Amino acid sequence: MQYWINHNGVQSGPVDLEGLKEMGLTSAAYVWHEGMPDWVKITQLPELQGLYEMLDEPAPGPQAVVTGTPIEEVQQGQAMQQPCDEMSLSDEPCPSTNLVWAIAATVLCCAPLGIAAIYQATRVTKCYRAGDLRGARDASEASQWWSISAIVLGVVWRPLILSLMCG
Amino acid sequence: MRRTLIWIVIIATLLVFGVIYYALDPSGSSLFPRCSFLELTGYKCPGCGSQRAIHALLHGDVVTAFRFNAMLLISIPWIALCLYAESQRTRNPRLYVRLNAPLLIWAYLVMVLLWWVLRNVFGW
Repeated sequence: MQYWINHNGVQSGPVDLEGLKEMGLTSAAYVWHEGMPDWVKITQLPELQGLYEMLDEPAPGPQAVVTGTPIEEVQQGQAMQQPCDEMSLSDEPCPSTNLVWAIAATVLCCAPLGIAAIYQATRVTKCYRAGDLRGARDASEASQWWSISAIVLGVVWRPLILSLMCG
Repeated sequence: MRRTLIWIVIIATLLVFGVIYYALDPSGSSLFPRCSFLELTGYKCPGCGSQRAIHALLHGDVVTAFRFNAMLLISIPWIALCLYAESQRTRNPRLYVRLNAPLLIWAYLVMVLLWWVLRNVFGW
């Protein structure tokens, strides 16, 4: 992934993660990479955590500092994807909501745990739409675990206890 | 490769369960797991009756299935839609997000919760 940086009004890039590490950035820097609709503060990209120095005070006058996007530069190299009217947040597809499992677990196995799985499924697309890919992945995983525990509790656990008591 | 293997396991499991639930009637058999929630609290959970409903469905008796667990019958087309969405997840991410919209999933969740309460009130 190539990043463009705007640090204290000075624009640079493209650089990769290695190059970014050596730039001595602070949390006041702004970043952009292909597929993003606009510049964001470096602190908003979880994958860049730890690659910059945290400043105590929030940078004054946030958006005004950054003007112009490096779209022209990109177009020279490769075709820039046209921003979609909605959900152009990320190149990555949405993590699975695991809703099939959640519904099956609710109706067939252990409903209370299945309902927790369905709730986590709502959070997957909610986070994804908000651009929070990490949150979406976490919710996807949580939904999966609720479904698995529902299936274990509803299908595997009961017959096991029964056979132990009867046998 | 790993995905194909997972699908084979899932389909084989479904077939085995299908044969078991076709051949044996859960109503009169102690082989089938009873609902833990029902035994603990005395109240029905949203999934209670689904084993008998599946048995009835496999014998083509939709009306009896509906009486045992209406939510199961409502869920089947929903699950089919979700499976379709899942198959399109990487190919058509926008469709996936639309079919898995938080509002839609919330609607299903509310339906399940209502079903849970109402079936205990009215004895469905």
